[in-house]
Amino acid sequence: MKEKANISYPLFDSFKDKLKPKRSQAQMALSQVNVFSRLSWQEIKIVENAVHIRNYAPGEPVFKQGDPGSGMYVIIEGCVGIFLDIPQQAPKQLSKLGDGDFFGEIALLDESPRTAAATAIENSTIIGFYRPDLMDILKTKPALGGKILLALSEVLAVRLRSTNGELVKVSRKLEAVLESGANE
Amino acid sequence: MSNTDSITIAPQSVRLFFQSFFKTLIYFIFLVLLLAGAYKAFPLVVDALFLIIIAAILTAVFNPLVDRLESSGLRRLYGTLLMFGGIFGMVALGVIKGIPTLLNEVSRIKDIIQENSATESLNSMMGDINSRIAEYIPGFQLDLELISSLSAQFFSQLGSILAGALDTLATIIFILIITMFFLVDGKRMTKQLIGMVPNRYFEMSLNITYKTKQQLTNFLRGQLLAALGVGIQSFIGLSLLNWIFDTNISGVLLISTIAGMANMIPFVGPFMGMVPAIIVSLFNNLGDPIAASHFYYILHIVGMFLIVQMIDNNIISPIVVSGSMEMHPLTVILLILVGSQIGVLGMFLAVPAWGISKVVIQEVYQGLKGHHLI
Repeated sequence: MKEKANISYPLFDSFKDKLKPKRSQAQMALSQVNVFSRLSWQEIKIVENAVHIRNYAPGEPVFKQGDPGSGMYVIIEGCVGIFLDIPQQAPKQLSKLGDGDFFGEIALLDESPRTAAATAIENSTIIGFYRPDLMDILKTKPALGGKILLALSEVLAVRLRSTNGELVKVSRKLEAVLESGANE
Repeated sequence: MSNTDSITIAPQSVRLFFQSFFKTLIYFIFLVLLLAGAYKAFPLVVDALFLIIIAAILTAVFNPLVDRLESSGLRRLYGTLLMFGGIFGMVALGVIKGIPTLLNEVSRIKDIIQENSATESLNSMMGDINSRIAEYIPGFQLDLELISSLSAQFFSQLGSILAGALDTLATIIFILIITMFFLVDGKRMTKQLIGMVPNRYFEMSLNITYKTKQQLTNFLRGQLLAALGVGIQSFIGLSLLNWIFDTNISGVLLISTIAGMANMIPFVGPFMGMVPAIIVSLFNNLGDPIAASHFYYILHIVGMFLIVQMIDNNIISPIVVSGSMEMHPLTVILLILVGSQIGVLGMFLAVPAWGISKVVIQEVYQGLKGHHLI
């Protein structure tokens, strides 16, 4: 088979580059989060206009345990640790999140206090998407707001299903332990 | 309930009452001192701030409407322009139709007061009213000169407010332009302002701003809806009085508008709405024996406004107005006294302005408490 010649067309390429849509870092980060993954680029741009981009220094808290929850965060770049405050002990690190990771999405629906603290481990740029921003989108762009809410419900449904699975496993184990105890 | 229960509950409720009253009083004194101090130090800045605050209040009122238009697919700018077009149209219609009628009415009543020929009719009317009231309250005596001077003062004040409003047309247009910018670009401006807040207070500031905005919108919308309700009811009531009893009350639309606006002032407002109707009825029916025999329809007017108040207090207000306007009567009197230093407009604005400040203070306090900062 004859190989295709690699011919370049500088004029055409320069037009192609110009026509290629330019995506910001925030847009790219948002498109990777499952809450926004089904949105069109135009819709992501609307979300980008609503969100807040914040910079955190190492050791700076994003939120503290017990604070009223008000929204979710997406890490554009950097590293954030999720810590559990235990009385009279050093905070226990539950997880370490990096570029593209997100956390706190349940707080978009519920104002109950944060169950853990989030602290920047290194210099981090983070997108904050808060309940007021979601409410505003729901008011002015109801179709887009509906899509975000549906995606959020799907995230919750997946978590609920996995929690149920875990619960079944644990209850089976418990039953087995109780049975073996009774036999003994 | 036992005796001991009633003994323990009473002082506690009294203490709570005084606690809430003194707390309000302290806030009030603090705010008045702050405003007075700021005005003395930077009068120009305070004037500019005053315009911005009025524009912000108007933005809170109109924002839901622009949001609704935007949600239907219209761009925010076009939605705002459409809404302003509608408002300007209505205002222009009101000015073209209403102002000449109003000025005629005011000058006519002023003429009646100043005319010498009317003095006799006025004297006989006052004599009639005095003798009728004296049947129930012995020794009661209304002074004609006092009534005339009060009426003249009221109408001259009304005239000066109107003249002032026309003089400050440029200011009103300026406020509307600021409002338009706030409506179109307000969200971006708020975002940029909040963006300056340090990370530590960011979530809290965002929440407080949002909740305050919500409360403010609800409060203003409630107040305006209640005012509109009272205005419409007064219009229907006065028209019915004219139709059924031939009470000859002119300027029904204007009186209803005053009644609706005055209703924003608790306790005193309903009476403020009633007074112009009574004065117009008295002057329009001067020398009419049928009207004299009906006590110049004063009782009819009072009765009608009482019914309007009953409907407003029991049906409309509980539905549309949030509880944020609940105030101690003494606070209201103090506010009206302070407002009266600025004029009639100050009396109108003092209580709603305090209501708004109260909502803002409450939300900030709750936010700081929620984030364990106080």
